[in-house]
Amino acid sequence: MKRITTILIAIILSTSLYAQEANDLISAVNKKFASVNDYKARVLMKFALPGIKINTLGGKVYYKKPNKLRIRAKGIFFVPRDNPMKDIPKLLANTSSFTAIITGYETVQGKKCAVVNVIPLDPNLELIIGKFWISTKEPLIYLSEITTKENGTIRTQNFYGQYAKLGLPDKILIQIEMKKFKVPKMLAMDVKKTSKKKEVASKKTGEIYLLMSDYKVNTKLPNSVFTEK
Amino acid sequence: MKEFIAILKNELVKTIKRPRSFIGFGVVAFICLILQAAFYNDGREILSLVTGQLENSLSIEGNILNGNLVCFVLLQTLIIQMPLLVALVTGDLVSGEVANGTMRFLLTRPASRTKILVAKWLAGMFYTLLLLIFLGVLALFLSRALFGVNDLIYVNSEALTVLKANDLNWRFAGAFVIAFLSLSVVATLAHFLSTVLDNSITPIVSTMAIVIIFTIIGMFDMPSFNVIQPFLFTTHMISWKDMFEDPIPKQEIIKSCIILFAHIVLLLGSAVYIFNRKDINS
Repeated sequence: MKRITTILIAIILSTSLYAQEANDLISAVNKKFASVNDYKARVLMKFALPGIKINTLGGKVYYKKPNKLRIRAKGIFFVPRDNPMKDIPKLLANTSSFTAIITGYETVQGKKCAVVNVIPLDPNLELIIGKFWISTKEPLIYLSEITTKENGTIRTQNFYGQYAKLGLPDKILIQIEMKKFKVPKMLAMDVKKTSKKKEVASKKTGEIYLLMSDYKVNTKLPNSVFTEK
Repeated sequence: MKEFIAILKNELVKTIKRPRSFIGFGVVAFICLILQAAFYNDGREILSLVTGQLENSLSIEGNILNGNLVCFVLLQTLIIQMPLLVALVTGDLVSGEVANGTMRFLLTRPASRTKILVAKWLAGMFYTLLLLIFLGVLALFLSRALFGVNDLIYVNSEALTVLKANDLNWRFAGAFVIAFLSLSVVATLAHFLSTVLDNSITPIVSTMAIVIIFTIIGMFDMPSFNVIQPFLFTTHMISWKDMFEDPIPKQEIIKSCIILFAHIVLLLGSAVYIFNRKDINS
């Protein structure tokens, strides 16, 4: 009986310690996010989406707290429906709305990272679970996985460079779970093609690669940037 | 040569002045305007049929419903109807005159039968070209003015392709050239049947019947049909769409153009051969 009690106490203590460490890591990340009220940057977008052919496209990205984000580019392009670039800072900012716990440690991009699971307290929220790989040495999120009820899991890898001190990545790789894209036959515009070419989009994970540069931080971006056509 | 030009001028004036020639322009204008109005009102809803399944995970940025897309849809819709409009005029060029009794009078001119027939064929080609230019102006320029210019989303059974707006003008130009070649085959077929048959209506109806039968055979993905499909001109009539593939299947386009051109040469050659040996009794 004593042994069981000791084990239970050990588990509870270690869990609360992990939870404390997780909260500390998230607080450090939030502190870094807090230094950036808004930013604009150049962005080069590369797409590898199943069933979609689209060339690399350049544009500008605008962000303003708490969760305003807009990518402006000449032409048609695709962005994730739940964009982690705006959703993650907002999600982590409200520390009382979730439980965070470290579930282990992994090496990502050569950095030792704590794997922090974030579970919302409100079960009615769209978010099911958030997983963040946060460096133990500097408060930077190297990898994240956001799982929502509607849109599955969005995995985001951040690659940091000269803007790391502000918590802003140079490169972002967003991986999205996509439903198999089937072209309605009546809308397919190649009636003369025969069935041999109809193996549409077997790959189901889409990738959007964003190369960011020339960040301008805290320039007091007007709200109109996010609304105007 | 002067004589030929005079005959050609005469044929052009006759072709353009005929009331039925205006039917084609009227139909093209009506369909363009009604579809543009429909797109203006319900375009987004129609497009959601394609984009809806993508929008579960992705959000599409930029104006999808733009002039380039509307033009593409108009071309896709009208290229199916255009053979009828072309045949309506070119199918009557020779047989109409035979039926009216004016052919005999025309043949009293010193020009050879070949020149007369070729002049009629060129007049038919000119009408086809005018109709296509009219369609181009309405479909491309008016749509761009109404809906703006942006990238084109091209959907085929393989993928959804986004083509850059600045990469589209030459594609549309190429598509119009191929469409002209395709319609020229129909015009030449109607002209050929018009040479063979003396009735004014039969060549028009026969041309349409051939186009419809060939199109139906081309639509079905069946082994027995697949054997004959490459030899049907209707299979190659939709090659204009290949201009919007990425990368462009150059070999396929060249092959289709050669086949279409061969049809024109064969049909015109046959028409000349038959017309030179034909007894014009009325």
